[in-house]
Order: sequence, then C-alpha cells, then structure tokens
Amino acid sequence: MKNKRFNLLLIVVVTVVAVWSLLPTWRDYSLSKQLESYASEQDSLKYALSHREVIEDSRKKSLKLGLDLKGGMHLVMEVDQVDLFEQKAWNKDAKFTTIMQSVRANASKSDERVLDLLVAEFKKENIRMSRYFYDIRNSDQEIVGKLDKESGDALNRAKEIIRNRIDQYGVAEPVITTQGSRKIIIELPGVSDENRVRNLLKGTAKLEFRLLREPEMMVRTLDRINNVLVQSGSPFKEVPVQDSLSTKSTAVPVTNSGKEPTNPKSSNPLYDLIGVSQNGTAYTTERSRELVLSLLRRSDVQALLPMDTELLLSAKPDMGKSGEKLYSIYLVKKAPELTGGVITEAKATFGSQGVQPEVLMAMNNEGTSKWARITGANIGKRIAIVLDGVVYSAPVVQSKIPNGNSVINGIESLEEAKDLEIVLKAGALPAPVRITEERSVGPSLGADYIRAGIQSLGWAFLAVSAFMLIYYKKAGIAADIALVLNILIVLSVLAGFNASLSLPGIAGIVLTIGMAVDANVLIYERIREELAEGKGVLSAVTQGYDRAFSSILDSHVTTLSAAFLLYTYGIGPIQGFAVTLMIGTSASLFTAIVVTKEIFHLLLSKNLMSDKSFG
Amino acid sequence: MRIFQKTNFNFIQHRKIAYGISIILLFTGIVSLVVKGLNYGIDFRGGSEVVIRFEKNADVAQIRSVLDAAGVSGTLKQYGMDRSFLFSTVFQGDTGQLKALVTNALNERIKGNRHEIVRIDAVGPSIASDLKWSAIKALVASLLAILLYVGIRFEIKFAAAGVIAIFHDILTVLGLFSILGGLFPFMPLEMDQSIIAAFLTIAGYSITDTVVVYDRIRERIRGQKQSEYARIFNESMNQTLSRTIITSGTVLLSVLVLFIFAGPAIRGFAFAVFAGILIGTYSSIFVAAPLVYDWLHLTKSSVRLRGSKAS
Repeated sequence: MKNKRFNLLLIVVVTVVAVWSLLPTWRDYSLSKQLESYASEQDSLKYALSHREVIEDSRKKSLKLGLDLKGGMHLVMEVDQVDLFEQKAWNKDAKFTTIMQSVRANASKSDERVLDLLVAEFKKENIRMSRYFYDIRNSDQEIVGKLDKESGDALNRAKEIIRNRIDQYGVAEPVITTQGSRKIIIELPGVSDENRVRNLLKGTAKLEFRLLREPEMMVRTLDRINNVLVQSGSPFKEVPVQDSLSTKSTAVPVTNSGKEPTNPKSSNPLYDLIGVSQNGTAYTTERSRELVLSLLRRSDVQALLPMDTELLLSAKPDMGKSGEKLYSIYLVKKAPELTGGVITEAKATFGSQGVQPEVLMAMNNEGTSKWARITGANIGKRIAIVLDGVVYSAPVVQSKIPNGNSVINGIESLEEAKDLEIVLKAGALPAPVRITEERSVGPSLGADYIRAGIQSLGWAFLAVSAFMLIYYKKAGIAADIALVLNILIVLSVLAGFNASLSLPGIAGIVLTIGMAVDANVLIYERIREELAEGKGVLSAVTQGYDRAFSSILDSHVTTLSAAFLLYTYGIGPIQGFAVTLMIGTSASLFTAIVVTKEIFHLLLSKNLMSDKSFG
Repeated sequence: MRIFQKTNFNFIQHRKIAYGISIILLFTGIVSLVVKGLNYGIDFRGGSEVVIRFEKNADVAQIRSVLDAAGVSGTLKQYGMDRSFLFSTVFQGDTGQLKALVTNALNERIKGNRHEIVRIDAVGPSIASDLKWSAIKALVASLLAILLYVGIRFEIKFAAAGVIAIFHDILTVLGLFSILGGLFPFMPLEMDQSIIAAFLTIAGYSITDTVVVYDRIRERIRGQKQSEYARIFNESMNQTLSRTIITSGTVLLSVLVLFIFAGPAIRGFAFAVFAGILIGTYSSIFVAAPLVYDWLHLTKSSVRLRGSKAS
C-alpha cells in the first residue's frame, strides 16, 4: 500500500515540477506575442515597461534557444604560440629569426604542439634554448616547462580579455570557454554585425607611443631602398584588381595573385608605389598598399633601414587631391617610448570641434611621469600613436604633458572609437589570436529550424501515439500519457539547467519519442504472452513488468552510454543531441515503468481492465 | 491486432542465405567506398561553406559562373528544396571577406532576385582533424563499452557477435552513403559530426534489438543440451520477432518524420539512422544470433551464462 502511494505521489510531483518549470517559457512566448500585437511602438514600450519584471523573469527562466535556432556566431580562436614564444625571447638575432620562421612554417603544416616543433628545430640547429630564452643556466627541459606554463597563462589571460571585450560590447548571454591548451570557444547569440565583432576579438590592441624620425632620414632611406630595388631588378607587379566586382581591395585569398616576374625594369620601382611630397612626407595609394606592406616585410629591405627604426603605414587613408585614398608612411623608432600597459582609462568622445570622434586616455602614475618626461624632451617633434602596428596619428608635441592624458584621433566613426575604447580598457592580448573556426547562422534560418523542429515533434508524437492506440488499445492510452510526461520532463530539465535547445537537440527528442514507447512495447508484448498462457490480468501485468525489466534496462543502458560518449567526444550542437537523448532515455525508464504501472494499478483496482485491454 | 505473432521460420537452417546477403551488401559498400569514396562535410574536411537562399528560383549554372567570375573558386550545389544553394570553398580565416565577395558579386550580376546569406561556416584544418580524431575515439570507446557490457550480462560469444553485427550495420550504412552520396540534391549525404552521432545511435539501438533476442535465448536455454540449441534459438527468435519489428518500427516512424520535416541539415542524419536501424534489426535476427549459434556449434561448447532472472 505504502509503495503504491509513494509511486503515485512521485508521479504527481514530477508532473507538477515539469509543468511549473516550463511555465516561464510559455509566459515568455505569450508576452512577446502581446508586445508584437501592439500597433504602435509607444504602446508596446509602455507595456514593456509596466510589465518589466515579469518579462525579465520569464525570459531568464524560459527555455534557451541555441545558436542555430536563434541566430548568432560561434567562434573558435587559438593563441598564436609562435608569436608568444618569440616575444618571450631576448637577444633575438638573425639566426633566431630564421629558426622561428621555420617553426612557423612547420606549425602551419602540422598538428603538433608548437612547443614540440620549437624544441625540434633548436635541436636540429644544435643550439641550446637557453641562448635565447630565460637564463643561460636553464636546461632545455626547464625552459620547455616555463614556456608551457607561459602559454597556459597566456590562454587564460586571452580568455579574460576577450570576455571583457565582449561584456563591454554587450552581447546577451555569451558563452566563453577554453578547450584543451590552445582553444577559446566563443558563442555569441543574436549578434548581427559579424565583422565588427570579429575585429573586436582579433585585434591585439597593442598600443605604443613611438617617436618619429626626421623627415630627411625617411627620404634617404626610401632612396636607398629604391636603389637596391633597381639594382636587383626585383620582380614587382601591381596586383591586378581581380575584377571590377570585388569592392574590397586586392585581398582575395582564394585566387593566387602572387608576384610574377614581370615587366620592364622600372627606373624607380619604389616610387611607382610610393609618393614623396615636398615636406618630406610619404604616402601610397590604396591599391598599392598591400604590395608596399609585403615589400616592407622583406628581410633585404628591412636590412636597409637605419638601426632601431621601422616603416609603418597609417591606419586610415586621407583624401588626396584627385580624390583617391592615400595612406601615409612613417619612419618611427622601433622601440616604443611608452606602451599601453600604462593606460588606465579610455573614453570615446567627439573631439574639441565636436566633429571628429576620438579616444581620450588616462595613465597611471608611472605612465604619467614617463609621459611628462618624454613630451618635455621632444617638444616640436612628432610622436606616433601606434595600435597593432598601424599609425593612427602622429601629432606634433606642443608642450610637456604633465597630467598623463593623451588622445587618439584619426578615427572615422564613433562606432570605431567605441570599439577602440573597449579594447584599450580590456587590455592588450598577450599574443595575436587567430580564428580557426567560425559558424554564423542568420536569424531567418533560426526561424526555419524552429518551425522544422516543431513540425517534426508534432508529427512524430502523432504518428507514434496513434500507432500505440491502434495496436494496444486501452494500454496504448497509458503509453501515450507516459510519452507526454516524458517530453515534458526533457524540456523542463533543459529549462531548469538553463541548457539551450538546438536543432539536433530537437532531433534527440524526436528519437526519444520513438524509443520511449519501445519499453512499453516490450512490456505489453510480455503481458500478451502471459495472458495467452491463461494467466489472470493482474498476474499477467505483474509478470509482464517483471520479466521485461531486464531487456528494458539493457536497452536503456546501451543507449545512455552511446549518448554519453557522444557528449564527451562531440563538439557543439551534437552535444545538444546527446544531452536530450540522455535525458529522454533516463526519463523513459521512469515513465515507461513507473507511470504506466501506476495507471494500470489504478484501472485494475477500479476493475476497468480486462484481457482485451491489451489489444 | 497482431503481427508476426505465430511465426515459425527456420532461421537457423537458412542462416547461410542471410550470411550471403550480408556479405554481398558489405562487399558492394566496401567497393563503393574504395572506388568512389565519401563526401566529407567541412567538419572533417575543413573549409568554408556558405548557404545562400534566393527569393525566386535561380539557375545553378548562372550562379556558378557569377561566383567564378568574382574570383572565388569552389563548388556550388543545390541544397534542400527551398531555392537554397550550398557553396563550398577552401578555408577562409576571415569569413567577412568571403561573405562580402559573394554578396557583392550576386548583387551586381543577378538583379531582380534578392538573395540572403543564411549561414556561413568556416572550419580550419586543425579543428577538422580534432573532430575527426574525436569521432574515431567516440566510436571505438562505444564499441568497447558495448562489448564489455554485453559480455558481463551474457557471455563473451554473445557480446562478440553483437559487436560484429554493429560493425556490419555501420559499414553497410557507410557503403550506402558512398553509393548514394551526391545523387539527390534534397538529400546531401555528407560525412560530418551528425553522422557520427547517427552511428553511435545505431550502435546503441542495434545492440538493444540484439539483446532482446539474447534475453529470450537465455531464458530458454538454461540446462538444455547442445542438440537442442538449434530448436531453442529458432523458437526464441520467432517469439521475439514481433517485438523486435515493432520496437524498430516506432523508432523508424519518428526518424521518418525527421527525414521529411527537419530540413537538409538533419536529413543526412535521419537517413543514416533510418537505414541503420533497418539494417540493425535485420542483423539482430539474421546475423548476431546465428553467429552465436555457429560459434557454439563449431566449438562444440555450451552456453555459460551469467546471472539474471531465472524463470
């Protein structure tokens, strides 16, 4: 007796809890419908404000929709470890550069850990790692250990910085996790401006203040480069603009637009691409920009630069006289006077004339005093503000700046200023991060998927429950009730754990519908057998449940373990499928056995069952 | 209502026929796999994919030539039934560029038919190999787990035969994917993560079916003599026939619904599960149990079962 009561109570409790935890979803849905139904925006805004708490509460507790149902971006980013290790080295000479270059080349081809490739390369050259890393007394082993820890730290720092940036940008419910030792997984539901987000995440945000060298020096250097180019008859061809269709410049990665040995030796190959004006400033056109950049990356060109200098391009173009876009070129000192580490505060605003957006920055104590010294010592000279290797502006130092304030102008839009503010505040990434996987789903596809999902659920339920009804008659009704409860339990568990539902997740529920009734089938077939042998209804039912139990257990355990393995080894939406399958299977153990049994006991006690009830 | 209730097929006697059919199926599948291979989705191949949907019907060839002219090389296929196309190309670290290129090209050349980029996926090579590796690990782990579990519940011969049956099922489905891959536009049969999920589901389900038959055999075989084995096996299989077919039938029904309604993204998965369960049911009856019988028969050993309900 007590046992029966307990089971009944359990079923009631489970049903109530399931329904209750799904109520917010229903409420959220009907509230959104209500908001949409208002004719004017004002009315709906009023409604939203007056019912604010209810709306927020239901939204929080309702069933979350996954990326593929809501639309959004899923990114996997990796920290560039080669760059990271490069940064950690001191005493970098030409040999080191070549070693790192080949490590980089190997890393792009193989899957091995960059650290292992580094060790191998050093071994090949027969050089001790301590020559470039850490202490001369450290053994290779120790250095490897330290570098490993560095990369782990860098990964975590990168994750935090990215999280910071995304928080500031404002994405509802982002998910940012690390996986393994190299990857950062980012999910951003509902993001519409993909490009902006991508740039936000990728930018290293390395801020540097660098002194400009005198214009004469730059002109001399450019001359030197030009001469060398003339002598070596360097292959040089402007990258053909692929087609009038591509609006972006020449960067079309899929077609190879490499440099082919070309035309007639130009007499001034460098000045074909770079123009120098009267006052000693240099510039290049938008079309030639890529080419100039690759030229500057060449080691023979770099060898021509005066010590401790670098040629950098401006971040944004200016308008030339005939309306073409021109990028300025600067010769700056390589070693920065000050870096972004001293920046404590950044704010995007409109400048003094209220027209151009700019970013104001404040520094910490150390930065302030250094900045005062630097500006004091270089009045009349120009200091370039360099962010991620491009020059945003290079203003002339008018006077000593004692309060640690500085400004970045040369920004095109307030949006961009805001993004700069975000990355400056969040801090610079320890090393560049690359996007290795990206999946974006537009919102219209999401709506499609939802519709497809609901249709599948509906028809599957209809088909399966109709079958059970036809084949097993009264007993079929019990199975169908159990099925409804099963689905409710799956959805409510998802809602309760704030897990999100994806399309594969819905597929998992559909599959569960088919599998859940299997337990019932096994039991009912057994009961039929017992009835056929002449046993009474009560004993047939009891025996049926008893005997069928082991098969049911086996089938559920195997399905559960398959789903569990899928969850462990899968990535992304597949895990959603595994989760719903696991919940559904476990729930079906409960609903198929306990629930239907209780229903039968109830009916039996009221004498409503006969041996015809099982069809 | 009853189906298959009082059957009396002699499964054991005709098992050679079943073996023959299985071998033919497997052989055809393997040949196709070797000769034609599989269509790999970007999960395992790496690369970028764009799904473009048009407002009105558009011509594949036209779109293909427009994209070619824009300088983006790749393959274009019809995708699903609602004027959508799938464009695959090599991996682009910056999908923004790819998107801009495609959008601009289509906007310029195909006027009057607005398009929408519904989805862009880009999978880099390191991720692709990670996924491949995970998939293999998952499959191997699940087969081992099943081997262990059934071995404990029944006996090693039963377990081994069950696992062989699962192998048989998965290989046949792979073969089907290879043979039918790319034939029907509404059914893009690509190997990606969801197909691995399908295989795991099939494995779990196939062993379930098999276990139902084993269970019945176990019940009837206690203390019986070797000479009785054929009869007992046959009876057990006949008795569980209706059970096996109906349980598979309900799942097939729900997967069929998925196949029809869930869209091209899920269709490959639904097809795999459908075929897998069909073949799994067949293998439970015609491959697993007969194999156990043959093993016992040839080694002249008797069944040594472990625990569970005595009658």
